[in-house]
Formats: sequence, structure tokens, C-alpha cells
Amino acid sequence: MEGIDWGAFALVFGIALVAGAGIVSFYSLGLRLLAVGSPDDTGPEDARQSSARGQRPLAASVGGFVCLGIGIAGVLYGLYLIIPQFHS
Amino acid sequence: MDLFITVALVVTIALVFDFTNGFHDTANAMATSVATGALKPRVAVLISAILNLVGAFLSTEVAKTISQGIIKEGDGGVQITPTMIFAGLTGAVLWNLGTWYLGLPSSSTHALFGGLIGAAVIGAGVGSVDFAVVLSKVVFPALLSPLVAGTVALVATYAAYRITRQARTRGADAGFRHGQTVSASLVSLAHGTNDAQKTMGVITLTLVAAGYQSSDSGPQFWVIAACGLAIALGTYLGGWRIMRTVGKRITDVQPPQGFAAESSAAATILISSHLGFALSTTQVTSGAVVGSGLGKRLAQVHWKVVGRIAIAWVLTLPAAALVGGLAALLASTSTLGLAAVAVLALAGGLTLYFLARRHPISHHNVNDVPADEGVAEKVGA
Repeated sequence: MEGIDWGAFALVFGIALVAGAGIVSFYSLGLRLLAVGSPDDTGPEDARQSSARGQRPLAASVGGFVCLGIGIAGVLYGLYLIIPQFHS
Repeated sequence: MDLFITVALVVTIALVFDFTNGFHDTANAMATSVATGALKPRVAVLISAILNLVGAFLSTEVAKTISQGIIKEGDGGVQITPTMIFAGLTGAVLWNLGTWYLGLPSSSTHALFGGLIGAAVIGAGVGSVDFAVVLSKVVFPALLSPLVAGTVALVATYAAYRITRQARTRGADAGFRHGQTVSASLVSLAHGTNDAQKTMGVITLTLVAAGYQSSDSGPQFWVIAACGLAIALGTYLGGWRIMRTVGKRITDVQPPQGFAAESSAAATILISSHLGFALSTTQVTSGAVVGSGLGKRLAQVHWKVVGRIAIAWVLTLPAAALVGGLAALLASTSTLGLAAVAVLALAGGLTLYFLARRHPISHHNVNDVPADEGVAEKVGA
């Protein structure tokens, strides 16, 4: 199996793992933080939203939006990578 | 005149291939969004079609490197003829239609390479194909891309469920649906910048080979526009059969899984193509869906379905090569032989189309999995 660039493959794997799992984790953390103070929805699946929305501490709001912002930044970087006019 | 007919036939079948590429690969980006209800089926395919069209106009880099050194061209290599390209495309189109009929996601790129390789072997001998390059650029990435995307999606899915207390925190479900829409759209756009390019490359290669265009110029505007429209139309009409497989039959995808799978797929595709190690969109997304099934506690992954998909992947290149080779054998005899190939391909395509009509799958029933089938596979798994 000559001609296979294992280094490049390992690099792709490493960065994809950090970027993919990282962005998903931050987005999830954002959702979690924005739900601080509110009761959980009744089920893990389908849309069964609890009716009441509780008080959310300021820190949770700020942290939540920062986390969502990281997700948005990831998307913008993705667009940057896709559109060659931006980086050529 | 003969040359003109050949070129016209190649352009036609190249656009047909582009069309099948579109409807084959709608599933990559949109199957999970349709399955979780993040997007209504018709809306999902419309978004994907528009993004594919936009993607086609964004870049022509891939188009310039279409044969990627697999077929030895130039000095000391072989002269690729329009007839060989035509035969290769025939093999790719028929394989795409066959896997669509069976509802199997398989790489259109591999079908295209397979068809061209088969045609080159028949038309110019085994020596015309650089099998070391085939191994390192096609076979090896095909084995690894689902593993990479699957592992990333597994970790991401586990994290998403863990962090949001099994997606029970208030609004988590809706949040994941929105996130999924965005990451699936990124996959669609990336697909457009890659796959429409391949057809543009093939048509340009043909025009150059026929002497209608100088070899150092890029795709002409009408080629870019036609390819973009063909892939967008194919995407819009939607490969619902494949979408059902990816969204419902591998595992019943839920919003956190869909979000994790599409985000992992987008990250893997973008990073790999940025680092010059481009992976197949189809294989990355299918792998990510399997990973998202493994990452959720108590989720069912239907290994029987996964096994069938894996078999289709292994067969894609040789099967398309076989059809491409046979087509090359017949088409290179005379213009009459060429016409015969066109007629046979049309007949084959129509047969699959009418077979599919007997058990239609459309945007109405894309999410319904027959009850008996689900039960049987759960027992088997």
C-alpha cells in the first residue's frame, strides 16, 4: 500500500474529530445553558416542550450565547473554506 | 459529422449522469433533516437544489483535475477519445440508477471513475490505468472515510446527549433541529462545489479531445450553467428511495443525532478537501449516520442494511468498470455501435424507472418504513 499518505490521513482525522465533536459540544452546551432555570421537557424525543420558562441567571445567558456563537463561527469558517473567492 | 454526433452524445449523457448524481446525493445532506422533521421533504430538496446550483458556480478548481492521474494521459500515455468517455459515463449512469432502485447510497464519483477506468482498459489496454493511484485515491479513502466520519459522529452524538441530559433540557429538541438545518445546508453547498465540477470536467475534457476547445482553458460558461442546472434538477426531484435508507433504515435518526451526524460530515468533508485528501460525500455521511446510531444509548443500528450498503460500495467501481468496458467495446466499433450503446443504456434506464414505479417512494412516504421490515431486522440485529 505505497503512496498512501498516513500523515495526511491522521491529520484529517484529528482535526475533524476536534472540530466536529467540538462544535456539536459547544452548541449543545449553549442549549443547556439557555435552559438553566427551566424545567426539563417531558421526553427525550419528539417535541414535548414544557410550558413554563423559569428565571435564567445572567451568567447562564452570557455563557449560552457565547457557546452558540462558537457554533456560528464554525459555520462561517466552513463557508470560508467552501467559497474559494474568500481565500484565493 | 461523426465527431460532432459523438460529442453531442457525450454531452447529453454527461448531463444525464450529473442529474443522477444530484438525485442520488440529495440523501447525503437532507435525509437526516427529512427523517427528524427539521425540514419538510419538499423544502429540504429545494434548499439542497439551490445550494447545489450556487455551488456549481462558485469554483471550477475540481473540474480542472478531473481524471486525477488515474488514467495516464499526455506524453507516453493514452489518448482519451470521446467514445471512451461516452462508454464510461454509460457505466456510471446505469450503476447510479441501479443503486437508486435498490435505495442504496453509493458514491457517484466512484461510479464515474469506475466507468472511465473500464472504458480505458478496453479502449487502450490495462496499462492505461494507474492502479496504484486507484488504490491510494479511490479504494483506500473509501475504506477510511466512513470510519473517520463515523467515529467523529459517535463522539459528537454521545456528547450532545450527555450535555443536554438526553435532549430533555427545555428547547433542546428544537435547537438541534435548527442546528441540523444549517449543517446539512453546508454539506449541500460543499457537494455542489465538488460534484457538479466533475461533470464539467468530463465535458470539457471531451471538447478538448475533439479539438473544439484549447487544452489550457477552463470550462465554458454554458457548460457550467448546464451542469449546475442538471445537478440542481436531479437534487430537487430527490432520490427518496435512498433518503429513506439513510434517514430511517440505518437507524431511526433523532434531532440530536441528525445534528451531530451532519455537523461531523460537514467538518470531515471540508477539512479533508481543504487538506487535499478529498473524501466521498456519500461515504462520509453514511458513516456519520451509523456513528450517530452507535453514539446514542439503546439506539438500533440495522447492520443488515449497513452490510448491504458496504457491499454496494465495494462493487461500485468494478461494476461500473464492467459496464463501461462493455460499452466501450461496442461503441468503438462504429457510429452504429455507438448508437446501439445509447439505445441500450436508455432501455436499461427506463426499465429501472418503471420497476421503481411499482413501489414508488416519494416525499409523501419517505419516512414510512414498512412495519414487517423493521421488526425482521431488529430480530436479526
